[in-house]
Amino acid sequence: MFIHNFKYAFKTLFRDKMLIFWTFAFPIILGTFFNLAFSDIESSEKFDLIKIAVIENDVFQNNEIWRESFAALSDADNAERLFQTQYVSEDEAQRLLEDQEIAGYFVLTDHGPTVVVSSSGIEETILQYVTQEVSQAEEMIQTLTASAMAKGEISTAGDQNAFYAQLYSEVMGIAQESEPRIQNISSENLSYTMIEFYTLIAMTCLYGGILGMVAVNLNLANMSNQGKRVSVSPMRKGKLIFSSVLAGYITQVIGVSLLFVYTIFVLKVDYGDTLPLVVLLTLCGCLAGLSLGIAMAVLVKSNDNVKTGIIISVTMVGCFLSGMMGITMKYIIDKNLPLLNRINPANMITDGLYALYYYDTLDRYFVNVASLLIFSLVMIVVSISGLRRQRYDSI
Amino acid sequence: MIVFKTFLRVLNQCKVPIILYTVILVAFAGFNMQASDSSAGFMASKPDVLLINEDDNTGITRGLTEYIESNCTIVDIKNDEDAINDALFYRDVHYVIYIPQHYGEDFLNGLNPEIQIKSTGDFQASYAEMLLSRYIKVAAIYARYIEDEQELTAKIGHTLSKQTEVEITSTLDTNRLTKSALYYNFANYSILAGCVYVICLILSSFKSEPIRKRTAISSMEYKKYNRLLLVSNSLFAVVLWLFYVLLSFVLVGNVMFTAQGLVLILNSFVFTLCALTIAFLIGNLVKNKNAVNGIVNVVALGSSFLCGAFVPVEWLPNSVLTVAHILPSYWYIQTNERLKTMEALNFGTLRPILFNMGMLLVFALVFTVAANLVSRAKRKIG
Repeated sequence: MFIHNFKYAFKTLFRDKMLIFWTFAFPIILGTFFNLAFSDIESSEKFDLIKIAVIENDVFQNNEIWRESFAALSDADNAERLFQTQYVSEDEAQRLLEDQEIAGYFVLTDHGPTVVVSSSGIEETILQYVTQEVSQAEEMIQTLTASAMAKGEISTAGDQNAFYAQLYSEVMGIAQESEPRIQNISSENLSYTMIEFYTLIAMTCLYGGILGMVAVNLNLANMSNQGKRVSVSPMRKGKLIFSSVLAGYITQVIGVSLLFVYTIFVLKVDYGDTLPLVVLLTLCGCLAGLSLGIAMAVLVKSNDNVKTGIIISVTMVGCFLSGMMGITMKYIIDKNLPLLNRINPANMITDGLYALYYYDTLDRYFVNVASLLIFSLVMIVVSISGLRRQRYDSI
Repeated sequence: MIVFKTFLRVLNQCKVPIILYTVILVAFAGFNMQASDSSAGFMASKPDVLLINEDDNTGITRGLTEYIESNCTIVDIKNDEDAINDALFYRDVHYVIYIPQHYGEDFLNGLNPEIQIKSTGDFQASYAEMLLSRYIKVAAIYARYIEDEQELTAKIGHTLSKQTEVEITSTLDTNRLTKSALYYNFANYSILAGCVYVICLILSSFKSEPIRKRTAISSMEYKKYNRLLLVSNSLFAVVLWLFYVLLSFVLVGNVMFTAQGLVLILNSFVFTLCALTIAFLIGNLVKNKNAVNGIVNVVALGSSFLCGAFVPVEWLPNSVLTVAHILPSYWYIQTNERLKTMEALNFGTLRPILFNMGMLLVFALVFTVAANLVSRAKRKIG
């Protein structure tokens, strides 16, 4: 009897087109959108060459420091290249700036260097910073020369020029050899678009709740004719419901496996070396979704549509809070309202996967696995106490 | 009137999703619109940096921390490795600098001590690293010539405080305009999802077989019935649009009263018309009420993701944008993007915008024709 009911529950679930759309197809479609929209987002934040223009006038031509600095920073062979520079007339530069082909341009006049930009931004700031750096280097040499003069180390103007030239090459030498020692100790796994895929998995797991709900409804006398028939049969209720729910769980796991296969092989999402742990967490997530669905089926005394609506709303709000519509949301909640995300099953899944991806230790991951199991247990206990001893004299 | 009343009754049934789409829009907008200073002058960007100083805050170390503090935004995060790592991952901070113990002393002894950092590797982080190494380099050069620590930090500070003059050509408040464009870009989702969802549900309610049979044999003229349905649906779309426009005045504020703001509103109106025709087409194609929800999500989320409503257009891969040309949302969002930096409105600058709006109208026309063809083919009952 167990296998018989299991088989038919399985068939019923698979033939419901809406169910299959939401639990199988929708996550895959959404994943495709994520992939299309986010595939470039991180590389476009990386440091790129900044397009600038330099006004070619006599003052600039005659100033060796400025000319060489810009040449070096625009040199394609230089590893620290910052700019893609055009040397143009002032009118041309203004046109380029208006058409937004350059971030800004640089003018050197007798009054000193000036940077012209059209708005404030990080590229403009870097252009300003670099020109500042060059004038600061100039200033530094002047200061050192002045203090040498004050100490009486040099006296005549001829000496001063020679000293200045010597100091210049000396300072450049020091600047090169005293390269600051900066060691980057941040983790390599910093790709935050991964969170989007984690919320997608969370969504799929929780949408599975609809499967659990439909599976339980099949056995409830107040929900369907089928439920009435099943209820009058001599089979034990526990066995009946367990076999239907098991069918729901397996359908759900098939849906999630499809999503994994699709994201790994088609979208090339890298879940890291810890795939078995990812799978373990996902299985727990499916259980949480399923038990949420069962609890809704039992506790909400209303029709199918309302129950589905509640499950979808809980899932979407949960995913929103765990960062599906912008990962900053998850961070804000984690930081300011940690309790909310502690009881949010979508966040348990997202956070567990995040901990696995980003953290070196597994503590936080296992806390989330345990939370999911506790959440499922609570839902199941609540459902069982709701389902026990249901009797209808007439219906 | 009967048709209109029924329309309102069905509308009342789908208020929950409409509220949901609006709440998401407001949440998104409120999120991105936290008032930042709007100023016309040049403001240097300050990268978000966290400074963890294990050394005594004196001498050269103090100079360094002061320099970083004045050129970066120091983010307040509790000194806990997990909290710092989380902040870095979610880009709350872009660059973390750990100054080791005895840094100042070791530096003066010429040891060139190592500084550990954590970095997100993006523009902000690169700029923060430039600032850090700039200070160390200048300090290293001066340290060769100057013995006295006090004189040394004073000289470094003096050199690094030298500023370059920056001229800014635009007086446009791009900051506020960008935000209003962001709001209208996101409204692409809310308008599209709202229109398609409601109109499809209404059309499918009117199309269920018993009701169609009843209206078919009633004395009401077929054309009048259709016209009423069209008017009430258009009315709904316009009300939805008006509501979102009003909301934009509340959320974005004064910048909506400029000429650019007016064009944004106009553009969203043209888009609403287009969304209305899309909804009509889908409503005519789909009979099953349950399927509407799925289709709304795919259509609205799809065009929002692919055309840059959620993710800024400049971050989308070019191939995606090329494909997006076939979607109306693309033309709508392109106009919003152009308005962000448009200084003067004249025929020359408005031409591309008029072209985009024209494209939207062409789409609307195509959808209307298609919807009519479909409904004619499906007119027969049973």
